[in-house]
Amino acid sequence: MSIFIDKDTKVLVQGMTGREGSFWTKHMIDMGTQVIAGVTPGKEGQEVAGRPVYHSVRRAVNDYAIDAAMLFVPPRYTKDAVFEALDGGIRKIVTVADGIPLHEMVEIRAAARSCGAVVVGGNTSGVISPGKAMMGMFPYWIDRVYKPGTIGVMTRSGSLTNEVTSMVVRAGFGVSSLIGIGGDPVPGIRFAEMLPLYETDPETQAVVIIGELGGTMEEEVAEAIVEGVFTKPVVAFLGGRTAPEGKRMGHAGAIVTGGKGTVKEKVIALTDAGALVAERPRFVGDLLKGLLG
Amino acid sequence: MRLFEYQGKEVFHKQGIPIPAGKLAGSVDDVIEVLKKIGLPCVLKSQVLCGGRGKAGLIPFVRTEEEAVIEAERLFTKEQIPRLLVEEAVDIDREIYLSVTVDPVDAKAVIIASAEGGIDIEQLAKNDPDKIVKEPVDMTAGLSPFQVNDLVYRLGLTGDVAKQVKHIMMSLYRIFAVYDAELVEINPLFVTKQGSVIAGDSKLMIDENSMYRQQTYKRTREYYDSDMEFEAAQDGIPYLQFDGDISLMCAGAGLTTTVYDLIHYEGGSVSNYLEFGGPNYRKAIRAMELCLRNKSKVILIVTFGTIARADIMAEGVVDAIKRLNPDRPIITCIRGTNEEEAVRILQEAGLDPVFDTEEAVRKAVAIARGECQA
Repeated sequence: MSIFIDKDTKVLVQGMTGREGSFWTKHMIDMGTQVIAGVTPGKEGQEVAGRPVYHSVRRAVNDYAIDAAMLFVPPRYTKDAVFEALDGGIRKIVTVADGIPLHEMVEIRAAARSCGAVVVGGNTSGVISPGKAMMGMFPYWIDRVYKPGTIGVMTRSGSLTNEVTSMVVRAGFGVSSLIGIGGDPVPGIRFAEMLPLYETDPETQAVVIIGELGGTMEEEVAEAIVEGVFTKPVVAFLGGRTAPEGKRMGHAGAIVTGGKGTVKEKVIALTDAGALVAERPRFVGDLLKGLLG
Repeated sequence: MRLFEYQGKEVFHKQGIPIPAGKLAGSVDDVIEVLKKIGLPCVLKSQVLCGGRGKAGLIPFVRTEEEAVIEAERLFTKEQIPRLLVEEAVDIDREIYLSVTVDPVDAKAVIIASAEGGIDIEQLAKNDPDKIVKEPVDMTAGLSPFQVNDLVYRLGLTGDVAKQVKHIMMSLYRIFAVYDAELVEINPLFVTKQGSVIAGDSKLMIDENSMYRQQTYKRTREYYDSDMEFEAAQDGIPYLQFDGDISLMCAGAGLTTTVYDLIHYEGGSVSNYLEFGGPNYRKAIRAMELCLRNKSKVILIVTFGTIARADIMAEGVVDAIKRLNPDRPIITCIRGTNEEEAVRILQEAGLDPVFDTEEAVRKAVAIARGECQA
């Protein structure tokens, strides 16, 4: 068992015949992911890595049982692709698209919530349970990052995830499941909403959160701990402690406005809730060692 | 993309939200001409994108033509303001706050209003949250009249003012939807002594990801804080200007921000923030060129890429060094897919690649301080 996906999760790839779609489909399969079929309008009859391509999600789910949809679809078509997956009865969706219009992302999240679905992303690398399966674009072959283990990781970032996770591995641990929430201001699913899955996952001993300035996702994690929704140890690393107000540090969601969203506030909320906050990526490993020995 | 006040007000006017009589002026002569049309007293509103204009003395109130000339000269020459919005002064009875934005948790739009406008809404939210009313809006369904009806009564408004505010709320939501806004705000919304409701200011921020379908506004130089930020943006390179002595040429927003933090922890300072990861990972030459135009003492390259291959980034850096012949040391910490090959490429080019972020940061800070050489 792992979170969101495991070896038995049957995955449909939307946008399978594109450059990124076909490249990462092969890698997902190589890692052990059960990619069943793909969708690209107008390309039915083709194959990618031996998997059949369909014109539409409806046609694919008519032939196969599908658990999850992996979207390699450009940002402007993402809303339609998500709605198509939901229409096909799929309730786990990952989108890596970077640049989804804000209002469409709000509609995507609202639609997913109304039918009990989870949309991970956009602007993320996806979801990976090292040694088992992945949906997205992870260099799982870098074993000083993507080593199987007992630490759950949730992140708003890409390269920083590699940096911090390599410190988790350097400290002698590995990763149970890593969920890339994504760097947009409105992610499909939020940190706190994934915590119950880690709570019940027997393979996860502790969770590392890689956050940053802007928004309130880290504060929501603190609330979940206080409310007893999540009882396992939490270690957080937050980028942007010294960021000046009013400057967007890269991610659209990473901005301090009107005094809200500062890392300082997040650190206080998390610390008060009993989580540990690492000042540097390296300290994440040290703190985990202190907690778990 | 944040629009200027006058642009926001143009949008308001088009969508039926009343604005004060006024006109844009680019020179003192322009100001005098506008005065003759709209009369005195009036306000000279500096068209800049930073907040706190009032406190900074950038919105003077003028009673006479003489005063107007003095103030306009000060703003144009001393403050280097390119344009002033010259507006009639309004007889204010009270001020209201009104905005529409997105609520990322509830996945809805939200109208935020307060009968006490003109102030810092964040402060009011902290100190007196009961004075702020909110109405969530399902973005698929849109805003219904019954919602604004309820809102104005929650604000304690009645009669003709309530009627006008309802109309403005409907228009403001329409602007939010049509312009793909992150935020559209009227603060203050004036209620005049004569009983009419007029937008005193405008703040309209368009979502960056929706700019492809909001073609009315072109990102010209005036929307950026510096020439360098504007130039980098032409190449799609995220860039921020600071005034320290270490140039960052890093990959990934989160990692670059973290390197920025680590430099400050070590007592160093950043000259520029530049991301050359993601879609830009083949732009090493352009990225280094931008860094070299800073007065920094060292360029620090930190990456840990996934799709952006380390070997290609390393090759790019080596190429850039050959082409640009940099006059300052370069510290590389390039990791990720194909990192072994990257190390080989960098070593062959005579560089001494570092493999640990903190070590790279310490090295850069030491060089910037003149404590050691690369």
